[in-house]
Amino acid sequence: MKRVLSQALKELNQFRRDRLTVALAFVLPLAMLLIYGFAIRLEAKNIPLSIQDFDQSALSRTYIERLFATNQFVPTPLPGPAPTSALDAGTAKATIIIPPDFERQIKLHQPVTVQALIDGTDVNNARVIQNSLRATTQFFLRTSDLVPEEARSPIHPQVRLWFNPGRREALYIVPGIFGVILWVFPSMLAAIALVREKEQGTLVQVYASDLSAVEWLLGKELAYLLVGLGEAVVVMTVATVLFGLRLQGDPTPLLVGLVIYLAAAVAFGLLVGARASNQTGAVQGTAIAGFLTALLLSGFIYRLENIPFPLSLLSNVIPARYFIVITRDAFVRGTGWVGVWYAPLAIALIGGFFFRTATRVLHRMQFSD
Amino acid sequence: MPLSRFRSLMLKEIRQILKNRQIIFLLLFPPTVQLLIFGLALNPAVNHLSLGVVDYSDSPASRDFVAALVANDVFEIQSFQPRAADLGQQVRTGQVSTGLVIPPEFAERLAMGQTVDVQVLIDGVDANTAGIASGYMKQLINHYGQTLAKPPGSSSGSSPGPPVETAVRFLYNPGLLSSWFFVPGVIGVVLTLTGSLVSSTTVIREKDVGTLEQLLMTPAQGWEILAAKIAPLFVLLMGDVLLASAIARVVFGLPFRGSYPLFLALSGVYVFVAISIGILLATLARTQQQVVLLSFFFNVPLIQLSGAIAPIESMPTFFRVLSFFDPLRHYVTIARSLILKGVGLEVLLPEVLILLGFAVLLMGLSISRFRAQLN
Repeated sequence: MKRVLSQALKELNQFRRDRLTVALAFVLPLAMLLIYGFAIRLEAKNIPLSIQDFDQSALSRTYIERLFATNQFVPTPLPGPAPTSALDAGTAKATIIIPPDFERQIKLHQPVTVQALIDGTDVNNARVIQNSLRATTQFFLRTSDLVPEEARSPIHPQVRLWFNPGRREALYIVPGIFGVILWVFPSMLAAIALVREKEQGTLVQVYASDLSAVEWLLGKELAYLLVGLGEAVVVMTVATVLFGLRLQGDPTPLLVGLVIYLAAAVAFGLLVGARASNQTGAVQGTAIAGFLTALLLSGFIYRLENIPFPLSLLSNVIPARYFIVITRDAFVRGTGWVGVWYAPLAIALIGGFFFRTATRVLHRMQFSD
Repeated sequence: MPLSRFRSLMLKEIRQILKNRQIIFLLLFPPTVQLLIFGLALNPAVNHLSLGVVDYSDSPASRDFVAALVANDVFEIQSFQPRAADLGQQVRTGQVSTGLVIPPEFAERLAMGQTVDVQVLIDGVDANTAGIASGYMKQLINHYGQTLAKPPGSSSGSSPGPPVETAVRFLYNPGLLSSWFFVPGVIGVVLTLTGSLVSSTTVIREKDVGTLEQLLMTPAQGWEILAAKIAPLFVLLMGDVLLASAIARVVFGLPFRGSYPLFLALSGVYVFVAISIGILLATLARTQQQVVLLSFFFNVPLIQLSGAIAPIESMPTFFRVLSFFDPLRHYVTIARSLILKGVGLEVLLPEVLILLGFAVLLMGLSISRFRAQLN
């Protein structure tokens, strides 16, 4: 135990002396927090909408007013005569075409069809636009008294959004960023440290000493776990200030989960470093791989349920997926252990596997020499 | 003979690349995996949302109502709960993401022609999904309600449906396939990551090993050394463009509506941008480890601000303006326009000019920094 501690201290001293790495180890996570926290917004606001009004009547103008009254759309002129011209040029995301007999038909109680052309490129916002156009049309009909009382729906849905009634996207994105950042950076630092020892040949000295592979790795594990905790404190503090996140309810799941998660991340980095040949390119490749899986297969951006079959199996062994469950609960839901008890267990299982494999790889290297 | 000198320098680079299995691996494996994972895993679809139902009415009318709500695939019944409190606990622990509470007087009030309130609970943690789900739920309930409202006797004479119908047509991506949105952007991401990685490693290795000094002692000029490095990388990365567009076409069925030669040419321009970024990173760093961290530092914002993953329109103003200085943003716009919209050069001209500007600027910057380091 003492040997592990002194090994960890040595490692921390070494880390502290490399000024650039220390700076990057704390500046990079913050930069990532700012960029992801502010720039990932899935739902577009101020959607440019152009209108081709062939009717030019009082009623069609009321309809147009209603569309822009929601503050979700911004009027944009059509650049050409073709209705698709604004979408082709990318200046509008949707175009509404009001037919020439709009008002007359409505007055005659004849059904009218308003055409909506929506840019389907951005699938998510295409759906958002479709929903809000439909809802606005309903609203227009009701407020303009165009639907007779008896034809209205007698069932009124009272929709309540739990945990996040204002639908602030930061509450969803920022806890997810914790998962990505606190995986990528601790593992990358640990991998780089291990590769460095290999490249400089100091690993051979360790083989010659009476330190066992497990003790040596545990020392590194402990050192970078501490660095990771430092990063976690910095990132979470800044996030609570900037994005107004607050801890909800019991903080123990977060504390326990955080330590286990960081340990798993460092173990992953050590494994990568142990496996990698002496090329930094390999470490970089794996860093990107770890980054992408934590980003894409963890439910950080879109729902986990949407990941198709073979990939969904892979997402089960991505620790970030479980940690994000913990952070979202800690900062938004506040349910506590009842909702997240399984997550720290799953992370510990995967992290333990990483650490065991890393010691095995190192063991094999030691005896093959 | 400067030409033969250039040729032998280039032959040396090609031989070095071919000998280095790792670079070949980096050129083939990560781009393929990245394209596949991005294209398959990122999917904003809102369907099969788990729904918990508390039906206090427990009548034919309420059962008919629930059946109508789950008739399409948006909501899927996960469980029926006896009490609203149980449903609340299920939402809290994340077992269901939506809930519906039907009051006991549901059937009686409808039969008497009165209005009735139903409660809909939605887990709002995922703000985006919650917004779309709530929109769908309101539409479904409203639609069902209107079919009820039509009195059976009088329906023949008056209007058969709502007086104004919104007919929606999705252009460019009628099936709303999410891979069609992500894959063109990811082609740009792949080129950025691979291009900067490969070019920075080839430059920094020479610096690390110290062979750069040896090259300097030859009569070759700085630009010749660099050009000989860039040319084979350019060819290899264009191979990546072909690989990526083949995956896009075959695996994801992207339409490639615009001119393919134009797409290749503009991708070539972007490859120059990516290579310059790599060289620039290599001149900024002293060791390979620093290159790893620095490239992360540059590439993450480059990708995030490009609109490849999250739409630019939804970013706050500051980041929207900042994204203008991101060369990847312009390439992604071009790729999406050419692959999905099929517009021509006349529409894309501003973006193309900006991209060319970036290529010239970054290339010039990296060459001048490289030369400054040589002297």
